[in-house]
Amino acid sequence: MSSASKAYLLNWHKANRALNTPLPAQTMRHSADFSADEAISPLDERIIASASEAMEAGQTHYVDVPGIAPLRAALADFLNSACGSAFGASNIIVTAGVQEARFLTIQKIGELFDSIGVPAVAHPGVQKALGVRKRHVVSLPVDDARGYLPTIDGIAAAVADGCRLLYLESPSRLSGAAYAADEVAAICQIVNEHDAAVIWDQGLSPWVAGDYSSLTALESTPTRIAVLSDGWPGMGLSSWFLGAIAAPEEWVAPMQSQKQIMAICTATASQYAALEASQLYSESQAGRLAQLGQQREALLQAAAAADLEVVAGGALNIVALRASAGGEAALEKLRGVGADGADFGAPDTIRLTISAATASALA
Amino acid sequence: MSKKREDQGTNLLYKLIGEARGYDDVIVMGRGDPDFDTPAHIVAAAKEAMIHHHADYSPPAGLPALREAIAERVKRVNNIDVDPASEVVVTNGGQEALFLMVLATVGAGDEMIVPEPNYTTYADSLDFAGATKVEVQTWPQEDFRADPALVRAAVTERTRALLLVSPNNPCASVISPGDMRELLDIAIERDLMILSDEIYDLFVYDDFAHTSPAALPGGKERTLTLNALSKSYSMTGWRLGWITGPADLMARVTELKAATTGGASVISQYAGIAALTGPQEPVEMMAAAYRRRRRLVLDALDEMGMKYGLPQGGQFVFADIAFTGLDSAEVAQRMLTEQHVLAYPGSAFSKDRKDYLRMTFLQPEDKLIEGLERMKVAMQGIMAGR
Ligand SMILES: Cc1ncc(COP(=O)(O)O)c(C=O)c1O
Repeated sequence: MSSASKAYLLNWHKANRALNTPLPAQTMRHSADFSADEAISPLDERIIASASEAMEAGQTHYVDVPGIAPLRAALADFLNSACGSAFGASNIIVTAGVQEARFLTIQKIGELFDSIGVPAVAHPGVQKALGVRKRHVVSLPVDDARGYLPTIDGIAAAVADGCRLLYLESPSRLSGAAYAADEVAAICQIVNEHDAAVIWDQGLSPWVAGDYSSLTALESTPTRIAVLSDGWPGMGLSSWFLGAIAAPEEWVAPMQSQKQIMAICTATASQYAALEASQLYSESQAGRLAQLGQQREALLQAAAAADLEVVAGGALNIVALRASAGGEAALEKLRGVGADGADFGAPDTIRLTISAATASALA
Repeated sequence: MSKKREDQGTNLLYKLIGEARGYDDVIVMGRGDPDFDTPAHIVAAAKEAMIHHHADYSPPAGLPALREAIAERVKRVNNIDVDPASEVVVTNGGQEALFLMVLATVGAGDEMIVPEPNYTTYADSLDFAGATKVEVQTWPQEDFRADPALVRAAVTERTRALLLVSPNNPCASVISPGDMRELLDIAIERDLMILSDEIYDLFVYDDFAHTSPAALPGGKERTLTLNALSKSYSMTGWRLGWITGPADLMARVTELKAATTGGASVISQYAGIAALTGPQEPVEMMAAAYRRRRRLVLDALDEMGMKYGLPQGGQFVFADIAFTGLDSAEVAQRMLTEQHVLAYPGSAFSKDRKDYLRMTFLQPEDKLIEGLERMKVAMQGIMAGR
């Protein structure tokens, strides 16, 4: 069959480079795959018990679009206690993984602004979400030496130039680097001065061992801020696709309408599992971080021995590597094993998921 | 989305649903959520998956084993041949499938022909894509038949796709094999894509038969077909559906799927494998129940003097209440407030359908009978007060 219509559609989609950006796997495909956003974690049997109990009790029907009420409340509590924010349950939308959170915020909050400032280096899911329906994008320059975080000067210039919506990752989804308190304060000042708005992806913040500064924690926190969260990472739920958005209610409404249009609600088993995970999280998080810290140390030593430079980071679940002099071959070897920085906007960088086995990939 | 439609559509429904929640004894004949819980063997399979597969990697298109089960299902039920590796994408319910099909086939300035009334999410998705919905009206006197002649007349230079929802929501019409062939011929002649929503394909009544356009010669290469486990296996909360279609277009659908939600929960996907490959008796049991309930509802509507298009498939009846002289939003409101029975007003589906009410068969028989009795009382009150 020759169909001009179909050929037109195919060409149109194929020309959409943003939409075709490859996405890293959300979880490891196998034990020697270090390209994923998160390592495989065990699943507590109490989570299995709770989720299956809910299913057996008939929680197999549609639920409220923004999520079941107790989970929304638990997510608000989690964000507030970890990051000093002041969200209520009505500020929360439970999403089918963090990519849906990216999509809803970028597309629906983006609709309210003429342009959106996006880091030159960010998770490929950002470009993908932007590719679905074109928005005017302002690229925010990043600092290679600061783990690819957008520079404060670059942010200031974009906002002064009229870009009133910023999309920022802290920690960076490529390097794990997070803004320090003074940088967060500077961003806050820029945003407030120009009455700008922010989509703040702090999904990797639970992986930061030391202090983490959230843009939601300041006394003068911008009123228009949407926060992206991965829920309770490390609890074995990454293949269950659960994420969340916290936002002012006037933003929740349009995102909730869009969520109804594109999904109706998030899978109930995932929601009940996450609710149980919220109860158990604090029991195991410190141990998880300590273990990751050790695994990271071993990895850094192996990287140094292979002439690989570690990009400044912070979050303990990932590490980004570049080649030092003589390390090119070692970096090349990691290409099929880790996530390609080119997809994030940083060629010559490879991101590895930290796990017990990652250091051996460098050996 | 235009403010006007938002008020008429989904928001109006949410207002009624919100009020309904406040009544302990409410009988819900509105929302399209089957009253049956998910069959036990499917829940058991999900539990197994939690124990043994909780961290399995699923590519955005879905677990290979589920895609194979889907390919086998669409061959068996719909006679559509698809390659599981390249022609199936698993979605978060039929709803995401619908959204992705629209995004894959139309963009700003394009037109899609939509027989009306129809499931409102199509209009919302078209709005998101910046495309225009071109309506072709259907009427109860013709059992809401989508007339191919009217469809042909609606095609313009800008038409890119034709939407076919059969069995339809809300009006429960089923496109006949002859009409389907004619509609496909129009699509071929005018070079249109077809979006075929077959979510109710297992529920077809009397002598009516379901036809998939992708199963007809010349159909597959221009058709994206949607289905889901929500209605057929009573799995609305699991959020599991799929799209099948030609590999070239499905490669684009896969990118769109990755862009919007990344993937579907592996636990739901394992539940889906169990649904499709396990015993099918629960589906037959549910289908038999819907057949009995449909009869109950139609008999009651006849008694109330309501006109309707015969529900040929699906889980609803779309009844004409013009004789009340009231807007259906008001009738639905009074039924709810006075008798605690929730039915959906036609104006929630289309601005032109203020004279209709949609009722579902998705309540146990005793409740349905009670609900119909209460509706009769409400209607008597409405008629007496005219
Ligand atoms: C015609 C039609 N398509 C798609 C859907 C979406 O169903 P789900 O996302 O629950 O699978 C519905 C739900 O009511 C529907 O009626």
